[in-house]
Amino acid sequence: MEHKAAALIACGTLAVATQALAADPIKIGVISEAQAVAGSSIGPAAQLAADEINAKGGVDGRKIEVVVYDNHSSSAESVRAFQRAVSEDKVNAVIASYISEVVLALEPWAGRLKTLMITPGAASDVITQNIAKDYEHNKYTFHGYLTSSALAGLVCDAAKDLLVTPFKMKTAVIVSEDAAWTTPLDAGYEACLPKVGLKVLDHVRFSPDTTDFTPIFNKIEGEKPDVMITGISHVGTQPTVQWKSQQVPIPMFGISSQATNSTFWNDTNGATEGVLFNAVSGPGVAVTPKTLPFVAAFQKKYGNVPSYSGYTAYDEVYMIADAVHRANSTDSDKLVDAMEKTDYVGTIGRVAFLPKGDPHVHGLRTGKGYITGLMLQWQNGKQLNLWPQELANATLKFPAFVKVATH
Amino acid sequence: MSVRAVFTSRLFWIGVATLVVGALLPLFASGYVLGLLTVACYTAVFAMSWDLLFGFAGEVNFGPTFLIGLGAYTAGILDARLSPHVSMWLCVAAGAAAAVVGGVLLALPALRLRGPYFGLTTLVAVLMLQNFVVVFAGLTGGEIGLSVPDVMSVDAHVNYWIAFGFMALSGAILFGLSRSAVGLILQASGQDAVQAGALGFNVVKHKLAAFIVSAFFSGLAGALMVFYMGTASVGTFVDISVGVQVIIAAVLGGRRTVIGAAIGAIFLIGTGELLRPLGEMATLIVSVIALLVILFFPDGFLGILRGGARS
Amino acid sequence: MLFWQILIDGFAISALYALGATGFTLIFGVSGVLNLSHGAIMVGAAVAAWAAAGLLHVDAYVAALIGIAVGMALAFATYFITVRPIQQSRRIAEPEREIFILTATLLWGIIIQELVAYLYTNNAKTVLPIVEGVVTVLGVRTPTNEFFTAAVCWVVIGLLWLLVNRTRRGKAVLAASMNARGVTLLGIELSGIYLTVWAVYGLLAGIAGILLGMFLGVSSYSVGPLTASAFSIVVLGGLGSVSGSLIAAYVVGYLETITAYMLSPAYRTIPALLLLIVVMYVRPQGLFGRR
Repeated sequence: MEHKAAALIACGTLAVATQALAADPIKIGVISEAQAVAGSSIGPAAQLAADEINAKGGVDGRKIEVVVYDNHSSSAESVRAFQRAVSEDKVNAVIASYISEVVLALEPWAGRLKTLMITPGAASDVITQNIAKDYEHNKYTFHGYLTSSALAGLVCDAAKDLLVTPFKMKTAVIVSEDAAWTTPLDAGYEACLPKVGLKVLDHVRFSPDTTDFTPIFNKIEGEKPDVMITGISHVGTQPTVQWKSQQVPIPMFGISSQATNSTFWNDTNGATEGVLFNAVSGPGVAVTPKTLPFVAAFQKKYGNVPSYSGYTAYDEVYMIADAVHRANSTDSDKLVDAMEKTDYVGTIGRVAFLPKGDPHVHGLRTGKGYITGLMLQWQNGKQLNLWPQELANATLKFPAFVKVATH
Repeated sequence: MSVRAVFTSRLFWIGVATLVVGALLPLFASGYVLGLLTVACYTAVFAMSWDLLFGFAGEVNFGPTFLIGLGAYTAGILDARLSPHVSMWLCVAAGAAAAVVGGVLLALPALRLRGPYFGLTTLVAVLMLQNFVVVFAGLTGGEIGLSVPDVMSVDAHVNYWIAFGFMALSGAILFGLSRSAVGLILQASGQDAVQAGALGFNVVKHKLAAFIVSAFFSGLAGALMVFYMGTASVGTFVDISVGVQVIIAAVLGGRRTVIGAAIGAIFLIGTGELLRPLGEMATLIVSVIALLVILFFPDGFLGILRGGARS
Repeated sequence: MLFWQILIDGFAISALYALGATGFTLIFGVSGVLNLSHGAIMVGAAVAAWAAAGLLHVDAYVAALIGIAVGMALAFATYFITVRPIQQSRRIAEPEREIFILTATLLWGIIIQELVAYLYTNNAKTVLPIVEGVVTVLGVRTPTNEFFTAAVCWVVIGLLWLLVNRTRRGKAVLAASMNARGVTLLGIELSGIYLTVWAVYGLLAGIAGILLGMFLGVSSYSVGPLTASAFSIVVLGGLGSVSGSLIAAYVVGYLETITAYMLSPAYRTIPALLLLIVVMYVRPQGLFGRR
C-alpha cells in the first residue's frame, strides 16, 4: 500500500514538475532586416522550424517561441532590439542578421548580456576573430554562415573547375563593395586566385550607395581581364542591369547575394542572364536530404522561396533546440558548451563549429563532408547549379555580349 | 523677467510635474520601459535645443541632426580609435565641442539668409555630414554603423538616471534661458528682427548665441546617446528622418515652450514603440500621425492645453 | 577615348538632373513651395512602372505611361494633402506657413518612401527599357538608352519652354510666378494656375523618374538623395530660375562624372557639395537667383 501511495505521489510530483517545465517555453529572439530581400526570410524560416519542433512535442515538452524584431538594416536599432529581447522579453538565444556590421555591433552586447547569439548570414571574418581574441567575453557568439575567407576559397575552387580548366582563362579583376565583409573576402581572393591560375590585374572597391556603375565598368573593361570576380551584397540590381545594358563583354563570377533571391530575375528584368554566383542552396538541388523538404514546406506556408539566410536560420533553430536538449538547461554558459559540440546535418550541409584555439573559433567547418556551397548561374529565368560536379544540373553558358577570349 | 515670474508660470509647473513622474518611474517600470524612456530623454534634449532656436530665435533648423551627428560621431570615432587611452567622458566633451564649432560654422552663412534659404542651408549641412560619413566609411563605419568599445552602463536603471538627470538639467537651463532677458530678446528678434534691431539689440549676436547653446546641448546629448547604445549610425543620428522626428516632437508638444518639446519627444517615442508589433508599418503610421498633427493641430499639445494663448 | 566617354555620360546624367531640377524650381517659382517629397514622387513613378510591368505584363511603353500617370497623381496628392491645406489654414500664421509646408512635404516624402519599402522591399528596381542595345559613337560604346534619355529630357524641357512662352495658359503661369496678385486682377483664377503647375510638375517628375529607372534603377533608398540632389542644383542655380537650374544641373552632372572617371567613383558627390558650400558662403542666392 505504502509503495503504491509513494509511487502515486512520486508520479504526481513528476507530473506537476513536468507541467511546470512544459509551461516554460524556450524563447528565441530573431533580429532581422524584414524589408531586405535577403533578411526577410530569416524570421519566417525560424518560425517554420519552431512550428515543426512544437508539432513533434517541443524540446523535452517545452515549446519554442520565436520573437521577431525588425532592425531596419540599422546597427543601432539592432542593439536596441537585442537589449529589449534579453531584458524585457527574456529570450534564451538570439538569431541575428545577415549584415556583418550589425552582427559586429551586437557581438559585444552578446558578451555584456551573456546571451547566446548566432548569425544566419553575415560573412565578415572579424566576427570569429573577435571571439579568438577574447574568448571568455565573446564566446556567446556563433558564426552560422561561411566566413568571407571561406567564401573566397570556395569561389576560387569553382573558378578553377569552371573557368580556368575549360576556357583557359588567365586574368581577373576583383570588383567589390566597400563593406566589412568584403575586406577579408578580397584578401582571400588576392591570395587564392593566382593559385588557381588567375592573375589579379586590379582590385576595384566602390561605395555601397553607388548607383551609376558606368565609370567602374569602363575602367575594368580598359584593363581587359577575362573575368570579373565579384563581392556584392548591398547592391545587386543596378550593377547587373547596367552590366547588361552597357553590354560589358566580361563575365561576372563570384559572390552576388541578391542574385540568390528568386525574385532577382524580375527585379532586373532578366538582365541577370549569365551571372554566376555562389550560394549555399539552389532550386532543386538536394544538398542534403533535408534541403528540398524545407524549401517545399517554406513555399507551402509563405508562398515564396526562401533566401539563403532562411536556410541557415531554419537550421539554427533546430541546433539551438538540440543544444538545449543536450545541456538540459537554458543557462547561457551551458548552452555555449552544448553548441560547441554541435554535429548536425542541416539544409546546407553538415554543421560543426570550429573549436576553441582555432583562429576562426565558432565558425563553420568547411570542405568536403561539411559545407562546400554551390556555384549557380541564371539561365532563362532559372537558377541552375554548375558546381560541384556531383550536384550540377546544367552546363555553363555565357550571354551573347560576353566575349570569352580563346587562349 | 523676474525669478518670481518663472515660478508662477503654468509651464513651469507642468515641467515640474513631468519631472516628478519621471523621477519615480524606475521604482515600478521594467527594464524595457526604462530603456525606451532613456532614448526619449535624449530625444527630448534634441527637441528642446531645437525649440530654443526655432521657437525663440525664429530660425527653422532643418538639420538638427547636423549638430547631433557631429557630436555623436566625433565622440564615437575618438573612442573607437583611441580607447582605452582616453576616457569616455573626454570623448563626450569633444563631441559637444565639435558640435559647437559646427554650429558656429553653420550659423555664419545661414544667419545672413532669410526664409527658405536658411532652411535649405541647414538641410544641405546634414547632407554633407551624411555624405562624409558614407564616403569615409573606413573612419566612420559608413551607412551601417560604428561600434564603440565603451558604454556608460549595462544597467537599465543607471542609464535611465543618467539620461533623466541630463534631460532635467538641460531642460531647466533651456527653459530658464527662454524666460530670461536673453530669451525675450531672442523672441523679439524672432518675431520682428527689424524692430528688435531698431530697439538697439544686436540681433545677430543673440541669434548666434542661440545657435551655440542649441548646438552645445544637441551635440552633448548625441555624444551621451552613443555611449548608451554602444553604436553610432547614420540612421540614428544623422538621417533627415531623425531631424524630422526632432522637429515633429517640438511641434507636437507645442512650439516656443521648451517643455512642450520634451513632452512631444516622449509621446513620439512612446507611440513608435506601441506600434512596433506592426513591424514596418510603424514608421509609416507615426509619419501619418505627425502629418495630421501638423495639418490640424499646429499648436501642439501645450497649445491645446493653454487654450490657444499665443506668447 | 576617355574624353568622349565622359562627355557622353556626363551629358545624359546632366540632362536627367536638369529635368528633375526644372520641375522642382518651377513649383517654387510659381507656388512658392519647396517640395521636399520630390525624390519620393520620382521613385514612386519608377516603381509603379516596374510593378505594372510585373503585375499586368504590359510592354515598356504602357508601363512607362502608367508610371508617369502615378507620378502626376502623387504630385496632385502632394498639393491637395500637404500644400493647399496649410496655405489656406487659419490656424497657422502667415510667416510660419513656409516652414510647415516644408515639414509636411518632408513627412509626405517619408510616407511614400516607407510605403514603397513596405510593399516592394528596399531592393533596387529597374524600369523596362524602351530602347535597348548599344551604339558605338566616336569609339565609345554607349547604351542607346543614354541617348534616348538625353533626347527625351531636352524635348520635354523644350516643350515646357513652348508652353510657358507661347501658350495662353503658360503665360498666365509665368505671370503668376512674378506677381500672383496681379494675375488675379486680370481675372484669371489662381486655383486653375496652381492646378496647371502641379500637373506639369507631376509630368516632369514622373518622366524624370521613369528615365532614371530605365537608366540606373531606383530603390526606396534613392528618395532622399534624389530630393537632395534636386535642391542642391536648384540652390546652386538660384531658386526660381529655370535657366539657372539647367546650367547648374550640367555643372553638377559633369563635376560628378569627371570625378567618378578620373578620381574614383567613391568621391563622386564631393566636388558638387564643396561647390555648394562655397556658393553658400559667397553668393547664397545662387548663380541666377533673386534674393
